[in-house]
Amino acid sequence: MSEVENLMSKKRAVDRYLKREVLGEGTYGVVYKAIDTKTTQVVAIKKIRLGKQKEGVNFTALREIKLLKELKDPTIIELIDVFPHKGNLHLVFEFMETDLEAVIRDRNIFLSPADIKSYIQMTLKGLAFCHKKWVLHRDMKPNNLLIGPHGQLKLADFGLARIFGSPDRRFTHQVFARWYRAPELLFGAKQYGPGVDVWAAACIFAELLLRRPFLQGNSDIDQLGKIFAAFGTPKPSQWNDMVHLPDYVEYQYVPGQPLKTLFPTATEDCLDLLSKMFTYDPKARISAQQALEHRYFSSGPPPTEPALLPRPAPKRESANSKMSDFNPHDGPMVLSPPRKSRRVMPHREGFEANVRPENMDDHGNEVRQAAGERSEQVPMSLDFSVFGMKPPTRPTINSADRSHLKRKLDLEFQPEEE
Amino acid sequence: MAANFWISSQFKELLEAEEVDVVNPLDKERGITLDDFKLIKLHMTNYVAKLAQSVKVRQRVVATAVTYMRRVYVRRSLTEYDPRLVAPTCLYLASKAEESTVQARLLVFYIKKLCSDETYKYEIKDILDMEMKVLEALNYNLVIYHPYRSLSQFLRDAGMTDTTQLTWGLINDTYKMDLILIHPPHLITLACMYIASVLKDKETTAWFEELRVDMNVVKNIAMEILDYYENHRSITDERVLAVMSKLAGRC
Repeated sequence: MSEVENLMSKKRAVDRYLKREVLGEGTYGVVYKAIDTKTTQVVAIKKIRLGKQKEGVNFTALREIKLLKELKDPTIIELIDVFPHKGNLHLVFEFMETDLEAVIRDRNIFLSPADIKSYIQMTLKGLAFCHKKWVLHRDMKPNNLLIGPHGQLKLADFGLARIFGSPDRRFTHQVFARWYRAPELLFGAKQYGPGVDVWAAACIFAELLLRRPFLQGNSDIDQLGKIFAAFGTPKPSQWNDMVHLPDYVEYQYVPGQPLKTLFPTATEDCLDLLSKMFTYDPKARISAQQALEHRYFSSGPPPTEPALLPRPAPKRESANSKMSDFNPHDGPMVLSPPRKSRRVMPHREGFEANVRPENMDDHGNEVRQAAGERSEQVPMSLDFSVFGMKPPTRPTINSADRSHLKRKLDLEFQPEEE
Repeated sequence: MAANFWISSQFKELLEAEEVDVVNPLDKERGITLDDFKLIKLHMTNYVAKLAQSVKVRQRVVATAVTYMRRVYVRRSLTEYDPRLVAPTCLYLASKAEESTVQARLLVFYIKKLCSDETYKYEIKDILDMEMKVLEALNYNLVIYHPYRSLSQFLRDAGMTDTTQLTWGLINDTYKMDLILIHPPHLITLACMYIASVLKDKETTAWFEELRVDMNVVKNIAMEILDYYENHRSITDERVLAVMSKLAGRC
């Protein structure tokens, strides 16, 4: 791009979007609805507040930009544009109508087994894509799974996500909303992998079946208690490394309940997949990709077409904003763990029962910033497959090349035996 | 596994050497030549490394910061974007992007401590303002793949683990050039290994030939690195000062 074009596009960046109503308050700034005049598309614009403590562009926002620029897929929320305006950074996202939490909580919606299969399949597809790209989402929960105008489910909110698999430091275990946290995280694991996202997906799966959050612990200890009460206290034979985890504490042995009792409406295939996703040992836990290949998805009924999935009835168009519409009478009380305020969506005036503005603290951010301060060598990722992607050229090195190099290096030339 | 480089923003942003070696018209007016341009970037690379040592961040953060800085100057002029501010800002941004945040305050403290030259002294506010501009110049693409990533793997596979230090050092030095903007990182790794193998008389021809990579590219990168070492000897502090003085004073 030439400098002139650059300047012109810069001028246009701000004017490109027609600002509409406020949609809500995100983790780190206000979210507006807007029209993209270039494409006539409806978009959501997140205005990033600059940090008060003089630390420039918000760390969480930067993480999200960094990863979403690399993750382009129909299963991931699209970051359309980023532009600065009046000293604030603005992130332009595709506009999403609702989220999975709203679907789960809407008592007027009946979710058929095929609908559930469709939602969890889309969730797992998004996860498999992230994991293939070496990104851990680390904040999987129903309200971070957004639903687009044609029923497509997309992973959003990558503010906690990070790249794994490269030689790296330890990670913080303070990720995920508690109810979706895998047992290894609750025991303080610092080195963990994509299994943490799979566990969270299993919790979402269970939530789709039960229509309420499955394991609602009110502390980390209680969360583990809830997990063990459901599936039984893990024996060392089930999970070798458990006793070596930093925050491991011994729990009294309780037997698990049969999955059939916990999820009476689920089919055998469904329960089998669920049990594989809820496996204690992260090494033995099924991967997102393997889960997608499970027979649950190939046996009947086939997953519902996204466009035909039940969604909350659109409410009247309103200029409603902020979180003013607290209505405890509508829908069951579902409280997200108080780590951050919920995403506020339009058309959902009646569903803000769980918004608790008093909990909009910056704690989440602090936790994020604490992410892995210590360094730790983990095995390098294998990188050989990259060669397979290139046309297989096989030129040879002849001794002339080596001798030329030798001369350059002012070293003695020695004839080679080839 | 890790096939993601080929679909990364970095892969899409790889440039031809001819696109990198362009002096911005605004800089030309100031009498900055291509050699000057390269020297300034080299000098700033050293500056970033020096700052990084003080604030104690990993080599990877330095590598990312230098890559950012070099990318900025593909698109922006030295005249409008003072490298003495861009360099620490890139380090600041890279520390965030690589998940080991350095406070701007700390950076400013060390800038003042390390640099007696007034033209280097910038305040927190300057860095934060520049951060936004750098982000824009980078088109918000922040993930950088480095040659270090595949190094230990390759060395083990080629039976060259005893040259780890040497090869690592060679890779560090490649950031004094624009190679990271032009070549896929694993080819830079291989070029450094190739040099190390010749230096240490390792018989690795068979190993290199087994690889499905264009060895001509690897050899060319290796030659470029060696050329750099040769030219590097002729750089004196006086020359650096003379070139830096062509830059505008503080705006």
